[in-house]
Amino acid sequence: MPMRVERILSSREAKANAIYNVVAIIIAVIFLFPIYWLVMMSFKSDAEIFSPVLTYFPRDFTIQPWLLNIRDKEFFMSLRNSCIIATMSMCLSMVIGIPAAYGMGRYKVPGRRIMLLAFLVSQMLPPSLMLTPMYLIFNKMGLLGTYWAPVVAISSGSIPFIVIILRSYFNSIPRSLDDAARIDGCNALQSFFMIMLPAIKTGIITVAVISFLGGWNDLAYSMTFNVMPEMRPLTANIYKFQSKYGTRWNAIMAYGAILVTPVVLAFVFLQKYIVGGLTAGAVKE
Amino acid sequence: MQAPQGKRRLNISMTTKTKLEGLLFVLPGFLYTVAVLGYPLVYNFLLSLRNVDVRTFVRGTSTFVGLANFKALFNNPTFLLVLKNTFVFTFGSLVFQFTIGFALALLFSKKFKLAGPVRGLLLIAYMMPMSVTAMLGKNIFGVSGLINDLLLKVGLIQQPVEWLVNTSTAMIGVVAMNCWVGIPFNMLILTSGLTTIPNSIYDSAAVDGATGWQRFRYITLPLLRPAILAVLMLGFIYTFKAFDLMFVMTAGGPLNATDVLGTYAYQLSFTKYQFSLGAATGMVLFCCLLVVGLFYLRLIAAEEE
Repeated sequence: MPMRVERILSSREAKANAIYNVVAIIIAVIFLFPIYWLVMMSFKSDAEIFSPVLTYFPRDFTIQPWLLNIRDKEFFMSLRNSCIIATMSMCLSMVIGIPAAYGMGRYKVPGRRIMLLAFLVSQMLPPSLMLTPMYLIFNKMGLLGTYWAPVVAISSGSIPFIVIILRSYFNSIPRSLDDAARIDGCNALQSFFMIMLPAIKTGIITVAVISFLGGWNDLAYSMTFNVMPEMRPLTANIYKFQSKYGTRWNAIMAYGAILVTPVVLAFVFLQKYIVGGLTAGAVKE
Repeated sequence: MQAPQGKRRLNISMTTKTKLEGLLFVLPGFLYTVAVLGYPLVYNFLLSLRNVDVRTFVRGTSTFVGLANFKALFNNPTFLLVLKNTFVFTFGSLVFQFTIGFALALLFSKKFKLAGPVRGLLLIAYMMPMSVTAMLGKNIFGVSGLINDLLLKVGLIQQPVEWLVNTSTAMIGVVAMNCWVGIPFNMLILTSGLTTIPNSIYDSAAVDGATGWQRFRYITLPLLRPAILAVLMLGFIYTFKAFDLMFVMTAGGPLNATDVLGTYAYQLSFTKYQFSLGAATGMVLFCCLLVVGLFYLRLIAAEEE
């Protein structure tokens, strides 16, 4: 008898499971349809783009729109700028943010409540508010027109994020680990680099990915602080290309698809890090 | 007597030392934040009380004008429209992204094979560059775009709607695109909130004969309250400061119909070079964020205790 009950239950569970899976797939298909649209449009021919009939799959599949971008010198410049700005802001925010997270997570630093408050508040300050004062300050400092202007501004957003996420990672390392390191004769810096950092590898990868993407996705700072197109990243040159290609949406979509690629790659290979990081960054555990 | 005292003194000196050590780790980050965010914020406040435009900035001849910039803004019908737009955009986005995100969270907090992978995939919409999302929105809400094509096929409209050209429909387009970005974020936070509710509570409620709706109303909602509040407040903060989306998708148009505080401040400062008016608009944006931000900080502080 008990076995039969169990079997009925598990078959009911399997059925529910199957239904959930199907519903999840349907939701994903509907929800991600705009991304399919972006990629699909980028493989349409010019003739098809300008035809009055909207097609949901390219009639004659062509990589011409991609080549149009790739052969463009300006495109490469923008791509290079995107990589430089994203990498620089990732490095700067990690070099400053990780030690700060360590100090906040593992020491009873005087004034830590005020500092935590400052980090939390600074997460809420949007670029649209900071643009005007930063522009005037950077202008006086002669930073406009350099990579440093957007990099310094972008990092001011990722540093608080890193502190808030990694603080709890550092906090969760058992106390005995650094006591042991100290007994073995490590000083504070040695135990930070050789014991603590390796212990929170997952957290480090998380903040690296998210702060890289933060720099990659930035539009406001790069666009405002660097007026010259040759200093601007892909995001900021997007409408320059839009006016260049007019209504050639296939070329514009190929441009967009290239811009989305790092995000998709990050999700394919590092999904669990991003999901964990985003959750921890928004609500405290 | 002697020994314990000596030990205590040693302890005190140790803790002072480690406190200093900790401070050395934190200080660069803290000072960076103060210098790169705190200073410009104060600078912005002072700027909003002066009459700095491109001429007075270069010559250094700006003067203190008190609240004149704010008076000018609140007497300007365009600014009042922009302020209204910002709230319409924010609450419109919040309502839809929260309800849809919540519904998805209820599904994805269940244990099934594809729950994790699909949940992660949906987050791509949240993480991709807003400028690409905006460009995509410009395309699919175009006259011969995907939205019109679908609505015509289903028969909901008889002829194509010029979504982003009409002042009455442009806001729908930007809100829709913003919800697309916000839904996965709401889902993520609410899912992680839901998974902290122990199953045993539901089981015992089921034994007591509670219906599905009763379990949702009297168990899920109250226990999820902190996550719901957090996601609504963060949603407000993230949405209220919108900039990239409008800048690329509609440029605030048509006729300021999708202009929000962020884009309006940008136009004042960087197309009209009226930096003080831009700064004053920024201060209005800041004050609205501050009100919600303070509630959010209180929520976090309560959890920290």
